[in-house]
Amino acid sequence: MTPALEIKHVTRRFAGLIAVNDVSFLLQPGEILGVIGPNGAGKTTLISLISGTLAPTSGDVLFEGQSLTGMPAYRRARLGIGRTFQIMRPFPGLSVLDNVAVGALFGHGGGHARLAKAREQARAQLDFVGLGKFVDQRADELGGPGRKRLELAKALAMQPKVLLCDEVMAGLNLVEIDEVIAVIRKVRDTGISVLVIEHVIKAIKSLSDRLLVLHHGEKIADGEPDSVLANQTVVEAYLGKRRI
Amino acid sequence: MDLLGQVLINGALLGGLYAMMALGLALVWGVLNIVNLAHGAFIMLGAYVSLYLFTYAHIDPFLGLPITAVVMFAVGYGVQRGILNLIVRAPMFNTLLITFGLEVVLTYLAQLTFSADFRTINPSYAGDSIVLGPVVLPLARLLAFGVAIALTVGMWLFLLRTRLGRAIRATAQNLVAARLYGVEPRHLYAVTFGIGIALAGAAGGLYGTVSQINPYIGAALTAKSFAISIIGGLDNPLGVIVGGLFLGILESLAALYVGPTYADVASFGVLVLVLIVRPTGLLGKAA
Amino acid sequence: MTALRIILILAALAVLAAVPWFGSDVLIQFGINALLLAVLAQGWNIIGGYTGYASFGNSVFYGLGSYGVAIAMVQWHLPFAVGLAFGVVLAVAFAVLLGIPVLRLRGHYFAIATLALAQVMTAIVSNVELAGQNIGLVLPPLNNDRLFYELSLGLLVLVTLTVFWLTRSRFGFGLIAIRENEEGAEVMGVNTTLYKTLAFALSGVFSALAGGIHAYWVTFIDPESAFDISLNVKMIIMAVFGGPGTVLGPVVGALSLSAISEFLSSEVTSVAGLFFGIVVVAAVVLMPRGLADVFRRFRKTGWRYFAENIRAHRL
Repeated sequence: MTPALEIKHVTRRFAGLIAVNDVSFLLQPGEILGVIGPNGAGKTTLISLISGTLAPTSGDVLFEGQSLTGMPAYRRARLGIGRTFQIMRPFPGLSVLDNVAVGALFGHGGGHARLAKAREQARAQLDFVGLGKFVDQRADELGGPGRKRLELAKALAMQPKVLLCDEVMAGLNLVEIDEVIAVIRKVRDTGISVLVIEHVIKAIKSLSDRLLVLHHGEKIADGEPDSVLANQTVVEAYLGKRRI
Repeated sequence: MDLLGQVLINGALLGGLYAMMALGLALVWGVLNIVNLAHGAFIMLGAYVSLYLFTYAHIDPFLGLPITAVVMFAVGYGVQRGILNLIVRAPMFNTLLITFGLEVVLTYLAQLTFSADFRTINPSYAGDSIVLGPVVLPLARLLAFGVAIALTVGMWLFLLRTRLGRAIRATAQNLVAARLYGVEPRHLYAVTFGIGIALAGAAGGLYGTVSQINPYIGAALTAKSFAISIIGGLDNPLGVIVGGLFLGILESLAALYVGPTYADVASFGVLVLVLIVRPTGLLGKAA
Repeated sequence: MTALRIILILAALAVLAAVPWFGSDVLIQFGINALLLAVLAQGWNIIGGYTGYASFGNSVFYGLGSYGVAIAMVQWHLPFAVGLAFGVVLAVAFAVLLGIPVLRLRGHYFAIATLALAQVMTAIVSNVELAGQNIGLVLPPLNNDRLFYELSLGLLVLVTLTVFWLTRSRFGFGLIAIRENEEGAEVMGVNTTLYKTLAFALSGVFSALAGGIHAYWVTFIDPESAFDISLNVKMIIMAVFGGPGTVLGPVVGALSLSAISEFLSSEVTSVAGLFFGIVVVAAVVLMPRGLADVFRRFRKTGWRYFAENIRAHRL
């Protein structure tokens, strides 16, 4: 089976700094892959390299076997790659509903041409993530947890095949984390492959089918969550001495 | 060859003055994030202050510069404190518009007060010049150039070496920083704008000794100041000297080789090119 | 509510359309100027208000439209309509060729780059022989102010319908998304480069048409007046005064500011410009989101509205 995403020896350098260093991995169809690592490990850079807002210095990203090199971000979105932002970036002046409608209007395959259709789909998506009550509110009036869900709804409205989540659980309380985990599971059950970047290890351990660890831009482990978290290198490099 | 040399000298002398004009604009832009469309109008106002000091109080335009600067500082401080501080957090359109409104008001006030006639500040030594081999250095222009460069460098040292200067530079990064220096932000903003306007006013006083003035010269000078700030970049006060010299020489060369009507094409064409190729300025940090 | 609004708009339109049949010559001439300014403000609204790019280059489109008509009619003896089309072609070419590099710039930098382009165009046209160099061109006169008035009104209706379409089309949503957050729009599938360029061109087409009508009406153009930057500032002021990013705001802003300006210059001739400047400064301080926002919110908040605006934006 063709993997949903294939990351091949991707490296990204910023002036004097290697943010992502020769990273390779696969994201299988219908899989939830967790990516963890300390701050500055290159997690967000990795997502930007896949979604196309950054270009890799070297290496290649393949989507369903097709190379994405040189392809602008909007075309990757239309192919079926959706992402959320860690620093939440709603369209502040638009209503919550219209924020999501943008995803339905453009998104995978170019989206709907008609606004009414797009809004209908946006409404369904907001119900799905539990923001159904806030459709008419302005996006910048939502609180932090609401914005996290809005980010998810915007990306989901694009009807992506691959969803890249950048710390959608950071700053949430335990109840909210459980709700988001349930949402992501439901997303996967619709056949979408999910890559989740997270800080909250407990949450990601129960959510992920597979776990990948980045440290100083390099991949230091990749495998079953339990065995990865037991891995001595990971424990030392990332978790420090006894911190789980 | 003599002609080319003379043109280069003229361009460079003009460029020094341009640099000083742009310095105030770049300072206000870099620190307060206000692109002041009224900057040229303040230069014009400064020129009239110097003109009146010279005509009615018989104060030499160069010796009178400190007075012009102080007067214009007060004007700038008042404008920022009374009006611009009210809108500094508004969207960009609004800051552009309000400074444009100020430009209109200042130009009309100048027209009502000073009339629309062309004037010059003509000290007794206006026609003197120094002959240096094949080139002629007009004395007034040379003096204006020297003062402009000295003030620009002085300004740079002030921003780098003094406590207030450091507070101003810190404010360009973020407002909280200003409080760390123990300066009240509203006051600091007003002082910064005041300094920018004082520089504009002094530049106007110098401009009046080398060129004709009327109430309408502001808009073109604002545009040139922009061009220089962009070419030189906003992070380094000395960038405006390079930008000013560049623009002055470029304009003189374009006027000589392509024709006087192309002088503006050259300067603005270069501005567009620089913006497209290096939006942070030729000397600025890479984006 | 919406039905009532539509009836009101149609009634206002009918009154406007009837002006040339009962108004004085002076009123008709004022009307033509005010309507063309409204077209410019509404055209700017597409790139400035909806897409969020503060263009100071729309006066270039206006100038290209003027010269399109003038060159076609004077130099090539072609009909007015062909001239208009020629002007539109010039404007679109300009929007595409220079829009693509310049639209990569954001914020102040875009504003200044377009401002500089406008300066360059003035100087270039002053040196083009076909365009009459800096002397300008004199067009064949057509003494039919009613026609010019109705043409201008028709163009205003057309540009306003276009903007209305933006508020409910995929294209318009893409533009608004770019204004609100360009990177966010790009990763959601908006082809930002294409959309910005199209918005710039669309904005330019209407400005060019306004310029073409104006040129034929006044029968004389020169580079200084055709590429006048203060015209660009005027359209921005009018759009922002009325409410940028709204359908009717720029039209209301343009018509009301034109009326204020006309009234001032007939009543207090010498200081009219001064008052205009003061109105602009006061408007930015007191109603930074324009008349449209005042209408929407004043009923709820009353006079506190103005104090709240100041509180929200002051240091």
